[in-house]
Amino acid sequence: MGFVFPFLWMISTSLQTFEETMRFPPTWIPASPQWSNFVEAMSSGPFLTYFKNSVIVTFSIILLQLMVMIPAAYAFAQYKFFGKGILFGMVLLAFMIPGQVTFIPVYLMLADAGLIKSLWPQILPFMSNAFGIFLLRQYFMQIPQEIIESARLDNASEFKIIGKIMIPMSMPAISTVALFSFVSHWNDYFWPLVMTDSEAVRPLTMGIAMLRETEGISNWHIIMAGNVVLVVPILIVYLFASRQIVKAFTYSGIK
Amino acid sequence: MNKKLSAIVLAATTVISGALAGCSGGGQQSTEPASSGQQTASPAGKTTLQFWHSLGGKNGEYLDAMIKRFNDSHPNVEVVGTFQGTYDETVTKLQQAIAAKTAPDITMLERAYVQMFAEAEVLEDMTPFMEKSNVSKDDFPEGLMGHSVFDGKVVSLPFNRSTPIMHINKTMLDEKGLAIPQTWEDLKKVAEALVVKENGEVKRYGLSMPYDTWYPIAMISQANGKFFNEEGTSIGFDKGEGVKTFQYLKDLQSSGALYYPPAQDSGNIVNQMFTSEKIGIMFQSTGVMGTVKNNAKFDYVTAYLPKDEVFATPTGGANIAMLADSTKKEAAWEFIQWVNTDPNGGQQFILDSGYLPFTKKMVESDAIKDLWAKDPNRKVAYDQLQYAVDTNKDVAWPQIMQEFFKAIQAIMYDNKPIEPTLDTFKKEAERLLKE
Repeated sequence: MGFVFPFLWMISTSLQTFEETMRFPPTWIPASPQWSNFVEAMSSGPFLTYFKNSVIVTFSIILLQLMVMIPAAYAFAQYKFFGKGILFGMVLLAFMIPGQVTFIPVYLMLADAGLIKSLWPQILPFMSNAFGIFLLRQYFMQIPQEIIESARLDNASEFKIIGKIMIPMSMPAISTVALFSFVSHWNDYFWPLVMTDSEAVRPLTMGIAMLRETEGISNWHIIMAGNVVLVVPILIVYLFASRQIVKAFTYSGIK
Repeated sequence: MNKKLSAIVLAATTVISGALAGCSGGGQQSTEPASSGQQTASPAGKTTLQFWHSLGGKNGEYLDAMIKRFNDSHPNVEVVGTFQGTYDETVTKLQQAIAAKTAPDITMLERAYVQMFAEAEVLEDMTPFMEKSNVSKDDFPEGLMGHSVFDGKVVSLPFNRSTPIMHINKTMLDEKGLAIPQTWEDLKKVAEALVVKENGEVKRYGLSMPYDTWYPIAMISQANGKFFNEEGTSIGFDKGEGVKTFQYLKDLQSSGALYYPPAQDSGNIVNQMFTSEKIGIMFQSTGVMGTVKNNAKFDYVTAYLPKDEVFATPTGGANIAMLADSTKKEAAWEFIQWVNTDPNGGQQFILDSGYLPFTKKMVESDAIKDLWAKDPNRKVAYDQLQYAVDTNKDVAWPQIMQEFFKAIQAIMYDNKPIEPTLDTFKKEAERLLKE
C-alpha cells in the first residue's frame, strides 16, 4: 500500500489552499476542496499546446516503435542470417546507454539538420526501443513453429504472417511494451528539457516544471494540481491497456 | 564535463552530424507559434531577441510581465523570454546550445557559473556598451558585483539576487524577554532559551536552516575564514574557522536548539515549521520574505546574520549576460540597459518579486523607499549587502560544492568527527582545484 501514499498526498495537496500547504504538521484533508487550483495551474501557460505536444510526441513514438520493433523482433526470432548474434548484441548495447550520455551529440546532429524548432527531436531518437525488441523476440520465439510453417505452406507473405499471426498472438507483450513506452515518454522531463528551446514545442512535464519557484516558496497546491492533470491520462491508458493485457493472456495460440 | 573531454565529444559529433545533415531529406516542419502570445516570426524591421531564464512560478510571471512591458514600449525590438529549467539545467542547455550555435542573445546565469562561461570566452564584454551609455560599475552595489568582472571584462550584471538572512519570530522572543541576537553567542543563548521540551521530546526549536552549502559558507566567512584561499589552490578555512562553524552547529543540534532538516525538500520543511511557530529563528534566503510575511500570524522581523568575528554574508541568485555569438548585441544591450535604468524595467520586477534592488539608482527611487517604509524587513536585506562577500569563487566550484555537501552530510547527519571530515574535504577540494 506504500505506493498509494504519495499519490494520495498529491491529490490532497492539489485541493488545499496555499495556507494549508504551509502548515506543520501537514494537512491531510482540505477544509474545502479548492478546485480553482486546477484552473490556475492550467492557465499559467499555454497548457493546451503542452498537452497537444505531449499527445503527438508520445503517440508518434509508440507508433514508430511498433513499426520498427515488430519486424525487427520477427527477424531476430525467425530468420537465420550472417551477423545475427552481433546485431542483436548491438541492440542490447543500445538498451544500456542512458539518454544523459547521448543527448549532446544527438542535439548537435538535430541542430545541424535544422530540426530543433520542431517536435522531431523528441520523437526521432526513440524510433526504436531495444527493450521492446528484446521482449517481443522472446515472445515470437515461443510461438509454435507449426503455425508459421502452415501459414507459409498456404503462401502467406511474411508481412501477412506478422499481421495475422504474430501480432494477435503477442498482444500481451505488445501492450506491455506500448504501455511502458507511453508512461516513460509521457512523464519524460529530461529529454524535452534538453531538446526544446521554445514554448511552442514543449510537453506537459515542462509546463508543470515551470510552476516551481526557483528561489522562495513554491505554490505546491498549484504544482500538485498540474501533476494530477499529468497523471490522469496515464491512469486512463493503464486501465485500458491492463484490460488488453488480461484479455491477451487468456487467449491461447492453439485451439 | 571537463573541457578536454567536451572538445573531443564535440569534434566527434560534428563529423557524424555532417554526415547526417547530408542525408536529412526534408521532414522540416515549422511549428505554429504558441498561444502564449509569443511570436516566432516577427514583422520586418523588428529585431527578435532570445532571452533564456530560470524563473518559474510567480517570479516567472513577474519576469514575463517585465518583458511584456519592454516589448510594448519598444516597437523595434521584441524579446522572447523562455524558461529553461532550474539554474543548473539552464547551464547544461547553454553549454549544448553554444556548441550547436543555437544559443540565445541574452541569458540569466546563476552567479556561481558566470566564471566558467567567462573562462570559455563565450560571454560578451559589455564594457564598450556601458561606456557608450555612460554606465559604470559603480552604479551597482559592490556586494552584488562579485561575479561580474573577469579578466578586466564586464561579462555579467546583477539581476535577480538574494542573500541569506536571519528571519525571526519576534513574538516568541518578546515572550521570553530576549533581544534579537547579533553575535553567535547571543544566538546560542536565544536559540537554547526558545526550546520547548515535553517528556524529553523537542516540541519547539530555537534555530533552523535549510540543508545547503550557503549557510556554512556564511558562517565560515563570519569566523573570518574564506572558502577558497587567495591563490585558489586550496580551501581558506583550515585555521579552525571550519571546525568552529560545525562545532557550533553540532553543539546547538545536540542540545535540541538547532533543528537540522532532512536533505530532501529541506527549504519547504523549514519554511513550514517557521510559519507554524515550531521554530523561533531561521536562516533562509531573502526570497521567502514576502510569502512568510503573508503567512506568519506573529510579529515577523529580519536581521543580519549574526557575527562571530565579523558580519558577513554570501549572495545568491543570478546575473544577466550577453552571449558573444549574438548577432544582435546592440538590441541586446538596449534591453539590458532598459532593465537596469527604466522604472518599469528591473525596478518594477524587484518591487513585484522581492529580490534585492540591484542598482544604486533603484535604491534611491521613491518606489523602493516607499516599499522599505512599508516593509522594513526588505531594507535590512539590502543593508546587509555591505557585508556581502563571495569567497567560493572558482571554476571548479560546482564540483567542489558536491564534495562540500558530502562533508555537511557526514557531520550533520552521521555525526562523523568534524576535523577528519574537513581534512578529507580539503584534499578533495585541492585535487579538483588542480584540474
